[in-house]
Amino acid sequence: MDEFDIVIGLEVHVQLKTKSKIFCSCSTEFESPPNTNICPVCCGYPGVLPVFNQKALELGVRVARGLGCEINPQIYFERKSYFYPDLPKNYQISQYKMPLGENGWLTLPSGKRIGIGRVHLEEDAGKLVHKKDYSLVDLNRTGIPLLEIVSKPDINSADEAFDYLTYLKLALQYIEASDCDMEKGILRCDANISLKKKGTQALGVKVELKNMNSFRGVRDALDYEAKRQAKTLEKSEKITQETRLWDETKRKTMVMRSKEEAHDYRYFPEPDLRKFSISLECKKIQENFLSKIEMPLKKREKFTKMYGLSAKDTDVLISDMWLANFFEEATTTFSDYKKMCGWLLGPFLEQVNALGASSGEVKISPANFAKVVKYFAEGKLNNLAAKKVLSLCVSTNKDIDRVIEEEGLVQVSGHQELQRFIEEALSQNPKPVQEYLGGKQQAIQFLVGQVMRKTQGKANPKVVRELLEESLKKHKGESSE
Amino acid sequence: MKDLTVLTGSEIAQGIKDGSLNEEGVLSFFKARIEKKDTSLKSFVEVYDKPLEADGSSDLGGVPIAIKDNICIKGKKITCASKILASHVSVYDATVVERLKKTGLRIVGTANMDEFAFGSSTENSCYGPTKNPWDTSRVPGGSSGGSAAAVGARLVPFALGSDTGGSIRQPACFCGVVGFKPTYGRVSRYGLVAFGSSLDQIGPLTTNFIDCAHLLNIISGYDPKDSTSDMAESVDFTGALVDDVKNIRIGIPKEYFGEGLDGQVRQAINEAIEIFKKKGVQTVQVSLPHTEYAVATYYIVASSEASSNLQRFDGIRYGARCASGNLKEVYFASRGKGLGDESKRRIFLGTHSLSSGYYDAYYARALKVRTLIRRDFDEVFRNVDVVLTPTSPTPAFKIGEKVTDPLSMYLSDIYTISANLAGLPAVSVPCGFAKGNLPIGLQLIARAFDESTLIRLGFSYQRTTDFHKRIPSV
Amino acid sequence: MTKEDIVAYVANLARIHISREEKEFLEGQLTKILDYIGKLKELDVEGVEPMSGFRLSHNITRDDVTKQSHVREDILRNAPNREGDYFKVPKVIE
Repeated sequence: MDEFDIVIGLEVHVQLKTKSKIFCSCSTEFESPPNTNICPVCCGYPGVLPVFNQKALELGVRVARGLGCEINPQIYFERKSYFYPDLPKNYQISQYKMPLGENGWLTLPSGKRIGIGRVHLEEDAGKLVHKKDYSLVDLNRTGIPLLEIVSKPDINSADEAFDYLTYLKLALQYIEASDCDMEKGILRCDANISLKKKGTQALGVKVELKNMNSFRGVRDALDYEAKRQAKTLEKSEKITQETRLWDETKRKTMVMRSKEEAHDYRYFPEPDLRKFSISLECKKIQENFLSKIEMPLKKREKFTKMYGLSAKDTDVLISDMWLANFFEEATTTFSDYKKMCGWLLGPFLEQVNALGASSGEVKISPANFAKVVKYFAEGKLNNLAAKKVLSLCVSTNKDIDRVIEEEGLVQVSGHQELQRFIEEALSQNPKPVQEYLGGKQQAIQFLVGQVMRKTQGKANPKVVRELLEESLKKHKGESSE
Repeated sequence: MKDLTVLTGSEIAQGIKDGSLNEEGVLSFFKARIEKKDTSLKSFVEVYDKPLEADGSSDLGGVPIAIKDNICIKGKKITCASKILASHVSVYDATVVERLKKTGLRIVGTANMDEFAFGSSTENSCYGPTKNPWDTSRVPGGSSGGSAAAVGARLVPFALGSDTGGSIRQPACFCGVVGFKPTYGRVSRYGLVAFGSSLDQIGPLTTNFIDCAHLLNIISGYDPKDSTSDMAESVDFTGALVDDVKNIRIGIPKEYFGEGLDGQVRQAINEAIEIFKKKGVQTVQVSLPHTEYAVATYYIVASSEASSNLQRFDGIRYGARCASGNLKEVYFASRGKGLGDESKRRIFLGTHSLSSGYYDAYYARALKVRTLIRRDFDEVFRNVDVVLTPTSPTPAFKIGEKVTDPLSMYLSDIYTISANLAGLPAVSVPCGFAKGNLPIGLQLIARAFDESTLIRLGFSYQRTTDFHKRIPSV
Repeated sequence: MTKEDIVAYVANLARIHISREEKEFLEGQLTKILDYIGKLKELDVEGVEPMSGFRLSHNITRDDVTKQSHVREDILRNAPNREGDYFKVPKVIE
């Protein structure tokens, strides 16, 4: 294995975030009943014509620019022909000679740049449901706008491929171009991989990998395939140029069963659509949008360096742009970054999950959230009370101070007030007092509990403990006198 | 009832409007005529029991019209004269059909055609050939042969056809009617079953230019459903119905008068040129040097696009599915049995032209030659307003005469193809009769979006001649 | 490729069954047609732009607005073979 360099290229298809399909007005809604979002156009009826969705063009330009691609000033679509039951016209409207963007890149956390060869627009095919003896066709997905993003063969390990996918996905989410949900098929990835002997220039024979359903699947498939190819080469056998499918349960790649015919897609310019000019203005609008967005990698650097967060916490934060932005806004109110991060990823997310809500439905403002953490840090709220406030405010964004007052959650921290409860507890519980004084240190735990109960939980248990210890010390002195 | 065959569609509509005619009476007059005459002509694929309802009015309101069977009408069969679509019911209206309904025209049925518009004789129809109303042993031309024959025989006052390489003009010529192919982009193609997407246009077949101008007004205009339709400003074509053609410059391209042109056709065209001259037009000899490459260019471009457009006919979502067996067998059998010989030939030629290793030599090269052909016209139109040519080198030929020799059939479109390749408006005007009462037509081609000049010339010509008033005695 | 090979190859690409006779017939006719269209090779097209699109005007696009077609049932009814709301086809082998 060590004598080879691994060469990987990834071909990613992402669904662009549009309401309607790329060439007709049918909805792009996910999980509709079969064949509901269909019309004569996406069903390839005789006589229909495509009309290009402006939003798909804009999002395409945004992604291409976001990946640093050069945008071709004039683009056109071509027809890619092959017969398949999920492809109603038996050709796919795609791009070939004049793609939307070329020559971009994506930077990984390691600092390495992975080249993007091309970015092009196309329509999705439908879905097949396989039964024992026949197949069923659902055309809901037919005509959903896709962006195909083809990397250059710059990726040199399965882990690097994983990073590439992770950061590509984040980038697309941050710029609001795609939801990138792999489970919903919104992001799909095929890979090709070859090995070459270290220090040589000659590329090895390429194998295409398909059927990976998660980023982890892509990584595992590439790992497996790299090892398989290395073993083959070490035995001085030849790699066959072929397409292999990743089997998630068997955890290996297998040659595609059906004999693949040599493809002859007969591309030619789509005569039903004109050429499209990408105006400077169109580019500028998207570039302006992009300039306002801090991309995931930049955020990552800022979070670790400026805020001093751990790599692990940072990765969780930036994996959700909403969360990352929430965090950053909160820091303007309270600057104990680590504490804030801890509360955000801990109690806060617990509350959100408990609500079964998505981050988008959260109402509490970052400032109010920060206030809760701040009160906790200052001792105004104890842990329990702070969580209670969060639970009351996450989906309402009520005024924090008012909630604390209404619920009577202010920590009982006046020593005089507390001292009264402590004296009571001591006099009412002579046995544990004796035990403590007799050297049984744990007995104080019971007394702390008693005091907490008397304050209805509003005291800071740490303070209670300290005061108890002090009082008991006095008791000890008194009794020994 | 009064003999409506001698009236124009516009006159009939006017009669309905002023109460001298009633709409139901008009419809039953033509229905009876279709029933009587069409058994021998076979110009219709389907005649509806009742004409389609329409809910608007216009200068042609209430007048019956026939539609070529490759234009979609919601809830009605659309077959393109192909077995593969024989039972297919359209689920939507073509834009032109919507417009006809909104202007009160009454669609009475669908007209026969060459399968998927592949042909110049209407012999390639799965329903059998349509006959020429002037001589039933001859073809009506094609592919809009049903539309042309029906109008020629006055079974309807007018019809719509489609023209990819002459499919409106050549049958109009053979049947003695006016056939107009608008500028590419002038009329929406939405709902026209595509043959050659970059060439197809829907257009009217009428007996006269008044009806032609009115029908063009109705069907023209930008359609957001057709990205290739043009936003050119809409024109009232009836404004061109004036008998004044003085100082219009007509170019006579020498390449259209060479070998292969029938003597009687040549003579009729020359006589027409004389009439135009008398009316004050100026004529100039011009040259369109790439004309001899037009047919080859056309057959590559049109067949390539057609091969792709017809891939959707596979028996999966609609149409006829043949064979049980595996998926591949379903594809092969449905298409093998459902498509006729000429369709297969075009698909083979087109698929081959686009296939790996041949694309550059055929399709890519043909697109470049297309540019040269368009440049020829650009050049000529710097000096003249219109180009005048014969529509077809010969009058209607015999049924069966050319079926076994596709190349000679293709060459019968030699004069009409260039206008499609260059995207220009063109019209065939009846201009005489050959021996045996066979109509002859002349073709006028204008600059893109200058349909008005064609209408003006045609209208003026028909003011002086009466070829268009003769009715075949079928 | 020979003419025979071309016809067989194209028949497969276009998914059209042709009988033996049809094949011979097509081979003969295609030979003639290909010879004829071969005349384009005489022309020098060096530097000539391929013609595509007509009058170049502004982009024609539509706004990203959804519209229900209301013809779903009609579309499914046109299917030569259906099961429930699906189009049914012979087994597709992946």
